[in-house]
Amino acid sequence: MLAVAGLSLIGCRDRQVTAYRAPKDPAPVMPMPKTAMANTNDLPPGHPPVGPDAAIPGAPAAMTGSVPTSANTDLVWTAPAAWTAKALGTMRKGSYAVPGEGGTAADLAITAFPGDTGGLFANVNRWRGQVGLGPVEAAQLDSSTQAVEANGLKMIIVEATGQAGGNPTTLLGAIVPHNGQTWFFKLMGPQALVAREKPAFREFLNTIKPR
Amino acid sequence: MNGILRPFRDFFVSIRLTVVLLLLSMILVFWATLAQVELGVWGVQQKFFHSFVVLQEIPRTGISVPAFPGGYFIGGLLLINLLAAHLYRFRLEWRKLGIQLTHAGLILLLLGELLTGLMSQESLMRIDAGETRHYSESYRQFELAVKDITDPGFDDVVAIPEAVLTDTGTVQNPKLPFQVRIRQYYLNASLQMKSQTPGLPASGATAGIGPGISVMPLAPSTKENEGNMPASLVELVAPEGTLGVWLVSAALGQPQTVAYQGRTWELVLRLRRYYQPHSVQLVNFTHEKYAGTEIPKNFASRVRLTTDNHREDREVLIYMNNPLRYAGLTYYQAGFENNDRTTILQVVRNPSWLLPYFACCLMGLGLVIQFGIHLFGFFQKRSAAVAA
Repeated sequence: MLAVAGLSLIGCRDRQVTAYRAPKDPAPVMPMPKTAMANTNDLPPGHPPVGPDAAIPGAPAAMTGSVPTSANTDLVWTAPAAWTAKALGTMRKGSYAVPGEGGTAADLAITAFPGDTGGLFANVNRWRGQVGLGPVEAAQLDSSTQAVEANGLKMIIVEATGQAGGNPTTLLGAIVPHNGQTWFFKLMGPQALVAREKPAFREFLNTIKPR
Repeated sequence: MNGILRPFRDFFVSIRLTVVLLLLSMILVFWATLAQVELGVWGVQQKFFHSFVVLQEIPRTGISVPAFPGGYFIGGLLLINLLAAHLYRFRLEWRKLGIQLTHAGLILLLLGELLTGLMSQESLMRIDAGETRHYSESYRQFELAVKDITDPGFDDVVAIPEAVLTDTGTVQNPKLPFQVRIRQYYLNASLQMKSQTPGLPASGATAGIGPGISVMPLAPSTKENEGNMPASLVELVAPEGTLGVWLVSAALGQPQTVAYQGRTWELVLRLRRYYQPHSVQLVNFTHEKYAGTEIPKNFASRVRLTTDNHREDREVLIYMNNPLRYAGLTYYQAGFENNDRTTILQVVRNPSWLLPYFACCLMGLGLVIQFGIHLFGFFQKRSAAVAA
């Protein structure tokens, strides 16, 4: 009875709408990533990007400063030693910085979502849009993608070079359906750097396998 | 005692019940330990220990059925069993003092655990170097904050907790000139710009940035390294009619504003905040490593604690095993991020934190007395035997 009474009390506390006066929050300091500037046409000026690739401000993070890996995911992979693991946003299953020359870096984002997330056609055009390219027609899809297979996984590789933030940018990605989910492995950054890392990216794709 | 109540009494004072309950608790702990791989610590606590029954889903049906007694059930029954046995067998004798104290300590320990489960509150405070924080944030619970930001010096906040949001009802608060109608709440969802992925369904929002965004619901997770990113459709209804429907999400980087009756409100879905009448400023954070390695030797936060009434203003060093205890809260050094520029403090409020210490002292004293009496008796018998 004591426990029931206590639980009811706590239950009420969890449901309590509170009103209070609080000091103002400092203005969020969130510089707009250059790579995302081309695709914010529906967002107010200064709003950070929205979508699976966006870094999430204030997102719950691990309690320690440890760097997340591919642990606890349906797919596992081994990233090249030169790539630096980054903290995950809550959307990312994996996140790496690919260092280039002169302080430049490309971003490798690994995300997964249930279902086909709109289908291959929509996703290819979404990625093309991120480097400022127009959509391809459905009939052109085969010519702008490449299908490969590794460790029993079917992968669609997409490469698109255009402009993002006024700089020549390449997006090199793989779309991998697995176990009712669609996985996205997206390397995006300066054109020269991504071109240099292309063989490493293909090698990286070969390491992806089901857990 | 009449014949009807006697079986109940015998059941609750029975040592067999104690043994069965201890066995059940061992099985529960073992099962929960295995389940931690899938559910994480938080999920296991909720499912196995902070529950009366453990619900288990029948595979491929989505139907959950009671599968095992939960922590509250076993612990509660153990407490009743102990209390009943204690009262039933209580004899006011010096010889029994040790046993009585030991049992009283055990009862206090169980009560302490119950109170901790019910009343303790854990949250995190992330502070960048030089930054000052008045609040800590929940690990996993979210809230919808409706903030009147008209005054340049402060915000008037109405915070609606997640437990209310999930019920998708209407919230009326005297501080707000409109009703907040929760039309939809997603425990976990990803957002996608519609302009980037043609053909995605509309979110249902009519105001703010929501009309340009599509919401994809995701399965909620309880794992430590997989936080949920909730989203909600919120309608504001004034006496003269609806003001619009907003999509709010923890994934949106900026709050959305609403102007009404000459005042400006912000809508933001965020981790639940616990404000305090004092602030903590991170003066500096140090992260020492063993020479030539990446192995941490010590990490510490030098913080400045200031109360709102300025009666207290001092610097404190918080490091591993040396927390700051202030105003019923304990600040532990829990982690760091952002290249050592951000410290993460765990903030714990546990009004019953001293009970386990009292309980252990009582039990220790009881055991010393009990064994002392036996030892004394043994020596007396031996002396008598030698004398004879």
